[in-house]
Amino acid sequence: MTAQANSYGITVDGRVIALDPEGYLADLEDWTPEVAHALAVREGRVLTEEHWEVIEVLRDFYRRYEMAPAMRPLVKAVGQALGPDKGKSLHLMKLFPESPAKVAARIAGLPKPTNCL
Amino acid sequence: MSDTTDNSMLVVLRHAPHGSSWLREGLDVALVGAALGKKVHLLFLGDGVLALATGQQHGPLGQKGTHPTLDMLEMYDIDMILVDGKALTQRGLTADDLQLPVSLIDDATLPEIFARHSSIYNF
Amino acid sequence: MLLHILNRSPASSRVPLDTLRAMGDNDWLLLIEDGVYGAVGPLADEFTSIQGRVFALKEDLVSRGLENRHDATIELVDMDGFVALTEQATQTVSWY
Repeated sequence: MTAQANSYGITVDGRVIALDPEGYLADLEDWTPEVAHALAVREGRVLTEEHWEVIEVLRDFYRRYEMAPAMRPLVKAVGQALGPDKGKSLHLMKLFPESPAKVAARIAGLPKPTNCL
Repeated sequence: MSDTTDNSMLVVLRHAPHGSSWLREGLDVALVGAALGKKVHLLFLGDGVLALATGQQHGPLGQKGTHPTLDMLEMYDIDMILVDGKALTQRGLTADDLQLPVSLIDDATLPEIFARHSSIYNF
Repeated sequence: MLLHILNRSPASSRVPLDTLRAMGDNDWLLLIEDGVYGAVGPLADEFTSIQGRVFALKEDLVSRGLENRHDATIELVDMDGFVALTEQATQTVSWY
């Protein structure tokens, strides 16, 4: 472990979880709901039931396709899983302000979406 | 020759999975285009048709394959999948051996597809 | 008119066959890099179906010592000629 690697990380239940410089998990296997909670706290976010259902959609997307979705396919996946009312950019912008595809992927323990602006 | 121009992006995939990064790079260009809201058409030509063969796995050292990405195309609204019929036949494959529903293209149609698209990305 | 640019030799690759299949009746073909081997000797026969629409990049033939060995049916262009061809084309398509 270099000093630089140690400078990004969070501690969850006594376990040190390494992050990359942008706050994504260094090892995707580290993810647990507790880790998601800690990542959200670190960014000053509070996770509600509505956040969790989007996190589950994202984790399912990654299990199937091995990639984190850009915004459009994320909206589509959420719509398919949770219904048309929630499959809207506005809903996702409200839950994960700034950049929903990136923020939600980070908290859901996915890599950074690569095809996203 | 067709005189109607199609503003969709045509991404031509001519390389087989696993052997090089060309297939992955071509798919990335298609996904970026679709994420930006462009309509994307894919054309699998030559060895590229092997990307669609069912039963693919990760590489022996755990390298990611491209087959999950092909399943993901529908989430990016990429649903025009054109396949060179001759390339399939040469490799002992038929449309039934492919993981996605495709439109088979014959020799006469191939030049028309190239002529029709105003932006072609050949991988 | 599309300008197709090919950098593979017909002696070592099947890519030139797909290039020919993709070409329309008015499209042009420019051979560059190892593609210029297709401009020399019997290999040039691969392109008889598009005779009059095939060019080869002079600089790449010169560097391979083949400038005076190219087939008479294939026209040489230098870098300026290459640029002129791309300017006349609606789009270029690279084959590799």
